[in-house]
Amino acid sequence: MRDALGPVTEALLRQARLDADAVAGAAEREAARTVADARREASAVIADATRQGEAEAAAHAAAARARARREARGRELAARREVLADLRGRVAAAVRALRDDPCYPRLVERLGELAREAGGADLVVREHPDGGVVAEGPGRRVDCSLTALAERAVDALGAEVERLWAP
Amino acid sequence: MTVWAPVEYTDVVELRGPLVVVRATRGVGWDEQASIELETGERRQGLVLEADHDLAVVQVFEGTAGIRAEGTRVAFAGHPLRIPVGPGWLGRVCDGRGRPLDGGPPVFGAADAAVNGLPLNPTLREPPSEPVLTGVSAIDLLTTLVRGQKIAVFSAGGLPHLELAAQIAAQANAGGETFTVVFAAIGLTHADAATVRDTLDERSAAGELTLLLNLADDPVIERILTPRLALTIAEHLAFAMGHHVLVVLADMTGYCEAVREVSAARGEIPARRAYPGYLYSDLASLYERCGRVRGRPGSLTVLPVLTMPAGDITHPVPDLTGYITEGQILLTRDVAPYPHIDPLSSLSRMMRSGVGPGRTQPEHADLAAQIVAALSRARQARELAELVGESALGEGDRRHLALAEAFTRRLLAQRGDEPRSLADTFDRAWEVVSVLPRRDLTMLSPEALDAGYRGRR
Repeated sequence: MRDALGPVTEALLRQARLDADAVAGAAEREAARTVADARREASAVIADATRQGEAEAAAHAAAARARARREARGRELAARREVLADLRGRVAAAVRALRDDPCYPRLVERLGELAREAGGADLVVREHPDGGVVAEGPGRRVDCSLTALAERAVDALGAEVERLWAP
Repeated sequence: MTVWAPVEYTDVVELRGPLVVVRATRGVGWDEQASIELETGERRQGLVLEADHDLAVVQVFEGTAGIRAEGTRVAFAGHPLRIPVGPGWLGRVCDGRGRPLDGGPPVFGAADAAVNGLPLNPTLREPPSEPVLTGVSAIDLLTTLVRGQKIAVFSAGGLPHLELAAQIAAQANAGGETFTVVFAAIGLTHADAATVRDTLDERSAAGELTLLLNLADDPVIERILTPRLALTIAEHLAFAMGHHVLVVLADMTGYCEAVREVSAARGEIPARRAYPGYLYSDLASLYERCGRVRGRPGSLTVLPVLTMPAGDITHPVPDLTGYITEGQILLTRDVAPYPHIDPLSSLSRMMRSGVGPGRTQPEHADLAAQIVAALSRARQARELAELVGESALGEGDRRHLALAEAFTRRLLAQRGDEPRSLADTFDRAWEVVSVLPRRDLTMLSPEALDAGYRGRR
């Protein structure tokens, strides 16, 4: 009986082996294809990532350059502003020092005249505690204090001031 | 009154909103510049809105919050607002009134000029000529900006008109000649202002740009001054220093709204949509400051950008602007990719003076006309296709649809940070027209076609 089934078993086995080989072969091919696909995809992803990374790095570098440039420019402008503030301080000190000048009474007198010329003869002139004069009348006032005059002196320089930082 | 002893007026009779009413003034004129000193020593600036006998009504830029009638002193300059002019403005970032925002000292200039400007002698005007290249393909090819021209950008709300304005300001050039840009940002949010500043940073650092930033929370009267300041700075750069200057004013709708607000504060009779009746002449007094002057090398080109409220092109602001400007660039949502320019609704009336041999390319005008004609036929074909289906269209119509698609994809669509050279733009334009068979390109000369056509012959 067993012998009689021998060829069938053998045939079935052979068939099963062939099938198994075919399946294994297909699986291998499939695996190889998947691996190749995966490799291709991976290299595409890497290429994409590289491109993106390069673009990002370029953008980052450009942003950093822009930031640095802006910072440098900001510092230069801030330095100019400081120099100007320093000039204002020095001019104010120099003008205030006029109080110790022997000609100061004459200056006060002249400033009083100037203030009344500008604002009208009815203005009452009095000396400002910080030097110079202030003339006041109904609804009008003329400030010729030394501090105000120093400010106006620097303002009147206009573009001359730029010589402070011109190369 | 002298520079050394200015008279200050102390009789403040009324404080109302942004207005200060001063009595017992002498010789004060309309629109005169005023300086207001508070008891605290704080100094504010203003303009005379009304002068009647000894009364003067002053609008204070910073508002009257914190001001008391007693102890406040108002001095008048004796002239309308003036600003220093000169190269000191280049590379600076200032607010809408010209005060520095970049941490630097105030801007100085060897000369000064009234911000309202002086009318230009019409007999000395030269017609616009030679192109300003913006580096934006759709503009350079189809609506070329010409030096001395005024051309507006109309945008529906929500479109990136500000980005486009900033891109043009960052990229524009005059083909190697000295070129500077004055960008007046009007009524911007802080976020928008930061974006504009970033975009223009490089040009600003190169000393080729002045940026005036008027923010949405700045006083309205300042918004009225901002474009005037920009044009005053630009006039000096163009006509005294010989630069080719592009002034970008964005967004002029914000300006017009400020004009409306100040007009209402002055109690003037409102006209269309409550804008004052003089809005047209007010806008003209700004836009007409562009041009070229005989015997002077520079030019001043003005590019106002405005949003159309609710997309309405008949709204007074775009309507009146359209009467004054020499053409428009229309941004629409119907064109999906940035910069959203609608080529069939955009037009530069001066284009013929700025393109052609020796200026751009010899075939420029013909090529632009050919593309516009083809896009027009494509639009008709698309409307027909909506009725009968694309498959029922003839071969010619289908080819024109393909051309329109190539135009949008290859020529119009452009990144916001992508400057395109004129050669690149023309390369793309030839690629677009080559979608059609050569026999359909009837507006181009045989020589131009021999040189540029890329399709099957």
